Amino acid sequence: MKKVLAVILALTVVLGLAACAKTAAPAASTAASASAAASTSTAASASASAAASGDLTGTKDFKVAMICDSSISDGGWGAACYNAMVDACKRSGWSYEVTDSIDQSAYYESIAAYCDLGYNLIYAPGNQYTDAVLQAAEEYPDIAFALLNGAEDTPGKATNKNVSSLLPNAQQIGWIAGALAGLMTKSNTIAFIGGMELDTTLGKYKGYTEAAQFVNKDVKVLDPVYAGSFSATDKGIEFAKAMIDQGADVFFGDASAVDSGARQAIDEANKASGSVKVFDIGQPADLLGQNECVICSQVTDNSSLLTISMQAVEDGKFGGETIYGTLQNGVLSAGKMSDLVPADVQAKYLDYIDQMTKDTFMK
Amino acid sequence: MSFAANLILASVRMAVPLLFIALAELYSERAGMVNIGLEGLAAIGSLVGFLVCFVTGSAWLGILAGALVGVAVNMIYAFATITLCANQIVYGMAINIFAPALASFIYRVYFGTGSELSQITLMNGIGIPGLKDIPFLGDLLFNQTPMVYLAYLLVIVTVIYFGKTRSGLNFKSVGEHPKAAATLGIPVTKIKYVSCVLCGALAGVGGAYLTTCYANTYTEGNVAGRGFIALAAVIFGRWTGGGILLACLFFGFCDALQIRLQVANFGLPYQFFQMIPYIATVVVLSLIGAKKAGPRAGGQPYRREER
Amino acid sequence: MTKFKRALTSFVVPLLSILLAFLIGAVIMIVLGANPLLALKYLWKGAFGTAANLGTTLAKATPLIFTALCACFAYKCGVFNLGGEGQFIMGSVVACLIALQSGLTGFPAILLCLVAGAAAGGLWGLIPGVLKITRGQNEMIISIMLNYVATLFMGVIYTSWLRDQNIPQTPAIPDSVKLSRVFPNMRFTTAFLIAIAVGLILYYYLFWTSNGFKLRAVGYNMTASRFNGFPVKRYILASFIVSGAVAGLGGAAELLGTQFRLINGFGAGYGFDGVAMALIGQLHPIASMVVAIFFAALRTGSTTMQAGTGVPTSVSDIIQALVIVFTVAGMALVKLPEFEAFRLRLSGGRKKEAKTV
Repeated sequence: MKKVLAVILALTVVLGLAACAKTAAPAASTAASASAAASTSTAASASASAAASGDLTGTKDFKVAMICDSSISDGGWGAACYNAMVDACKRSGWSYEVTDSIDQSAYYESIAAYCDLGYNLIYAPGNQYTDAVLQAAEEYPDIAFALLNGAEDTPGKATNKNVSSLLPNAQQIGWIAGALAGLMTKSNTIAFIGGMELDTTLGKYKGYTEAAQFVNKDVKVLDPVYAGSFSATDKGIEFAKAMIDQGADVFFGDASAVDSGARQAIDEANKASGSVKVFDIGQPADLLGQNECVICSQVTDNSSLLTISMQAVEDGKFGGETIYGTLQNGVLSAGKMSDLVPADVQAKYLDYIDQMTKDTFMK
Repeated sequence: MSFAANLILASVRMAVPLLFIALAELYSERAGMVNIGLEGLAAIGSLVGFLVCFVTGSAWLGILAGALVGVAVNMIYAFATITLCANQIVYGMAINIFAPALASFIYRVYFGTGSELSQITLMNGIGIPGLKDIPFLGDLLFNQTPMVYLAYLLVIVTVIYFGKTRSGLNFKSVGEHPKAAATLGIPVTKIKYVSCVLCGALAGVGGAYLTTCYANTYTEGNVAGRGFIALAAVIFGRWTGGGILLACLFFGFCDALQIRLQVANFGLPYQFFQMIPYIATVVVLSLIGAKKAGPRAGGQPYRREER
Repeated sequence: MTKFKRALTSFVVPLLSILLAFLIGAVIMIVLGANPLLALKYLWKGAFGTAANLGTTLAKATPLIFTALCACFAYKCGVFNLGGEGQFIMGSVVACLIALQSGLTGFPAILLCLVAGAAAGGLWGLIPGVLKITRGQNEMIISIMLNYVATLFMGVIYTSWLRDQNIPQTPAIPDSVKLSRVFPNMRFTTAFLIAIAVGLILYYYLFWTSNGFKLRAVGYNMTASRFNGFPVKRYILASFIVSGAVAGLGGAAELLGTQFRLINGFGAGYGFDGVAMALIGQLHPIASMVVAIFFAALRTGSTTMQAGTGVPTSVSDIIQALVIVFTVAGMALVKLPEFEAFRLRLSGGRKKEAKTV
């Protein structure tokens, strides 16, 4: 008897606390939404607060939905893709929604759920969604599907011609980082940390290597390492430590939260040695200032790729092609450089970037 | 420093969070409570530790908060399995689903969805003057954060407690034969609850260590299976504090080795190295007899009225 | 158990638990600014609203039914097979190897894949079984460890041995080896029918054959069974093999029916979900299948609910975990002797002896 009462009492307490939390929450969510990109609450439906992370207050009657297997607060890929969507929507007047942290078995259902709700564009940021996207594209011919980092042959596989791949040029991404790495390295050893062995990652590594070796004949690039995940920060710490022990003094990566761990380890090593000697080049957003060791970033403007897609959807011309992101069309760029980069190196680097844009680099 | 020296340093670094979680499970299993929800407890411990450290600026408060939340969540497990005699495995799994989801939820509500990665200042290392200048061993043993010293201390305390004190022997008897213990007047239910409190606290501390002393950011999934490796460590270490220390060092070594071999481009798929802790446990269990295979009444609910 | 108790545990407790879990979920949603009634509407629509959604629910239920039956069968024999996930994965790995490497096509290929998958799962389940009967080892931990070994082994397969060029996944199995849909516009395949069939077969075996009776007896009371001359060790081994085979079959069917390739995250969580479902289903094969379908509905519906209301994934995970927490707690509560005494007092204390269990 006592035990049953105890259970009921405990549950009442829980419910009571939750009810109290409700009054406290609005304060928390306004503070959070000031920092998040979500707009203020006007919309009728549920997604008003920052915690709900969507926004259906676009000016036009178009909606885009993003699905993501990682969290959108990972400070890396997920966050960058989400913010790209938010920016693109602000520019185009669209509304957006997101479902993140989903299991592989739920990819298709999440996409289908948005399709059923009448979304116009589905945005899937990664190659792993290809199967689910193609399946959904088959069953929903009137909905557009944008696959970021999709393979070049994927749009051709969609019989309804409603799938396009958004492909930032992996080789140029590698070049942007590699050129600076080759110029800045004093030990002539540089490193690359990958998340999973995707073909875009390998393309970036190749570009990184060839650009670095072009600007600096003596540089050696360590073999790439893979954490096997995009969230294992501790692996990033260990990889960085091991690679610093092997003499690497410039790092680049394609591994989201793993790279954050690497930057932390690099900062620690710099602190221990007394001066900032080991550097990191961030991506895909401009990370200058986030860590002491970041000297520059390779910036991918996913939002302009999305804006192009949204425009195409509005015009009814979307689908069946690969939309490239390059230095030439402004999607790829080099971020701001820190003061750790000497002025003459900065000038040389900007010259190389110019060559890349004019397609005269390494020729 | 040489490859071997760095490898050993890395092993110890990676063993410490595992050690806290494994000791948590030791206390739990010694009282007959098999708790497989360590992964969830560590996850929420790491989130709360990070959050509190972020808000207050103190890593110590973060650790304390991690311990408290671990206890709170583990009380769900304790109440259901001790008082209601529900199945321990299912509850452990339920915690593994519930706690990380709760952690992710709290993170989202507090930090929103910006791409700015929130960072905290890690706990400072404290070098023991004099001793820390011993080459290699100095860095390894005497120039770490206080939490590492605490971990070592905890191992010693555990070994003494279970080996030499009457209270420790009573504790163990609850896991071996609760009915006999009850006839001797040992408060079986109370000890089981205490074991769950200790388990929750230590697992929460292990998780909080990950975000206040190791990495300075929180990412979902940062516990990365340590909860299950800890289960293996307890068995591999034969349910003793000293054995668990060696087991955690061994597993930490395997993990560190796997990373360094990848950097050196060894060639064998890295997953084989990641399998080592699990295969080693199965091998150990195949070799040792049932008598030495842990508390006999492990995993069984205690019902006072049963004959 | 009395008839009243049986009714209580079978219906009322799970129902109340679900209600309570949803209540808490609703509170969380209100805190986030979402509308719980709208969420419920989306949940229902997502799970059962259209034919396509119902198809998805059943397709999602298929692997859960297999692992629930695996756990159910094992537990009925008193064996704690927690290695369902590992057995599921080994089944799918073997099926994948055959589908991609053997060059066979069509029905013979499908048959071979399914049978081999079941055999692989059975063999994987044999390991903890053998260790239990020869060394007396606790099979719980061994089977959990083997889950990880299986998952990592699958990782080796799709990152190096059978990799699809530069993407960490295996190539898709050829079309002729895929299981076909039962209805063209619904996603569930013949795999679902196979799952139901296996469930019915196990039910028949356990409750309508003498061998099944002996197996259940061993699970009920191992000492008495041994005393009566039942070959206990053989039954234990058999239950490991059969439950492993069921899980392995599930893995093969999932590969051939829904996923078509091995990729990071394949099969994750199904094993333990199966255990929870078997327990909620009171270890009865038919009930476990119903519970599995319910959970699949909950998951499928949650996806639509998330899409429609914008609440984060973690909320529906919390609700699902709470359903398990409350249901299992509720069922345990009802079995307690104190509760029985409480109930007797409430009903005016009929002249019945308080039973101990």
